[in-house]
Amino acid sequence: MIKIISKGLYTTIQDEGRFGYRNIGVPSSGYMDKESAQIANLILNNPINNPLIEATLIGPTIKFEESTVICITGSDFNPMLNENKISLYTAVEVRKGDILKINNSSIGSRCYISIKGDIKLDEVLGSKSYYPQINDSSIIEKGVEFKFEPNKNKLNYKSTHQEFELNKNLKVFKGPEFNCLNKGSINKLINKEFSIGVNNRMAYNLKEKIQDGVSSIISSAVIPGTVQLTPSGQMIILHRDCQTTGGYPRILQLDEKSLDNLAQLRIGHKIRFEIVTL
Amino acid sequence: MEFFNLNKNSILVSWNGELNSSLTSLISSYKNEILSLCKDDIKDCVQSIKSILIIIDLKRTSINEIIEKIKMIDYEKISNHDRIIKVWEIPVCYDLEFATDINLLSDIKNLSVRDIIDAHLSKTYDVLSMGFLPGFMYLGKTDKKLHCERKEKPSLNIRKGSIGLALDQTCIYPRQSPGGWHIIGNSPIEFFNLASKYPCFSKPGDKIKFVEISKSQYKSSINRLDKPKLIEL
Repeated sequence: MIKIISKGLYTTIQDEGRFGYRNIGVPSSGYMDKESAQIANLILNNPINNPLIEATLIGPTIKFEESTVICITGSDFNPMLNENKISLYTAVEVRKGDILKINNSSIGSRCYISIKGDIKLDEVLGSKSYYPQINDSSIIEKGVEFKFEPNKNKLNYKSTHQEFELNKNLKVFKGPEFNCLNKGSINKLINKEFSIGVNNRMAYNLKEKIQDGVSSIISSAVIPGTVQLTPSGQMIILHRDCQTTGGYPRILQLDEKSLDNLAQLRIGHKIRFEIVTL
Repeated sequence: MEFFNLNKNSILVSWNGELNSSLTSLISSYKNEILSLCKDDIKDCVQSIKSILIIIDLKRTSINEIIEKIKMIDYEKISNHDRIIKVWEIPVCYDLEFATDINLLSDIKNLSVRDIIDAHLSKTYDVLSMGFLPGFMYLGKTDKKLHCERKEKPSLNIRKGSIGLALDQTCIYPRQSPGGWHIIGNSPIEFFNLASKYPCFSKPGDKIKFVEISKSQYKSSINRLDKPKLIEL
């Protein structure tokens, strides 16, 4: 069992996500940076899509009530186990009574804490991922306890010295309404940098405008990675918790890896789009 | 019918043409047929007003394979199936306690409150799409008299069960939420019930018929998890 001593800024449980319910308006959710999350599971030889803890900018502090093995991946938050710095991308043994302090992110936005075994938590519509509209609590609160069903799987590697890197180049495909853009806007899209504004698990706002007064479309489906152009001329990049339909033109669509990269960026970071073909 | 590959595992199938009941019915027929042909290969299939988004499982199939299957669908054949269309009867109380924007709308449209209610009750609506919130229903089309813009300033707290009007559509808020539609009533029905394997009783392609109830009828049926009456199959 683990106990949450402090909750951090926005700490949730995530797995691969919720599928089959977008038709009734339920988002997919799931790991924001899927690749980093899955590596944590692989290192512990947990099932690749095991639910784990996702921390955002300021991490939680966790007390372990039994011995187990953990692995932290993603951005380096300078995690400490009983005041000693521990490595990322490595299986780390913890003992009963140990305190894991995740601390604050130094470069990226999110880290993943995988714990060997299976977290005991009820699924909602086929997934354990937190989502505000369907879970009683949208974040992990202080004082909450989680039980784990340990597994006997052998660890995959003792250590992989994987370097976590931010990638600010986002690969995009043309979206269904790409043609609503004029030449000037397309030039800006290809040649300019854009800065990240307010963001959360649902969407990333970009600060710079590209083209005013583009009219709405008849509401149609959107997915994580869809780049919408709002009437004010600003772009919104939808992410894992995004709604299922929308009325703004869909000008671009991020590829899967770029969606992971975006999940690690934060307010003020500059991004570039690289248009690629499917 | 047009195909657009959104990314490596998502295809958007869209239709042109006027939005009306027969287009909605055509899109629903396609969606049902696609799901029955390729159910195990599809992770999500989202019906919206003029399109269907199909998210496939790349471990089992490819985009081209799915597109070929869709192209093979003989519309004449699927439209001749005696397709079951569910019509749900939804009770609505239009009392001013709930209808927080009906006076505003009455001023804007120069209609009496009674005219608005009667026009709203006069049609059977298609469930065009669900989105925005889990279980939020877009229903169309409304009587021309009721067509209106969204409110200039959205409300921060729209009550659960609220019935709204905007554009040529009416909607149901399954949960308390912010929103910009004009609220003209409230239904005591539970529209999104997580205790059920199928949290929504209806889905895009079904139909909704509103019936008026009094405030006392409303109070006696609130907090009951009964499904609404199915009036027609």
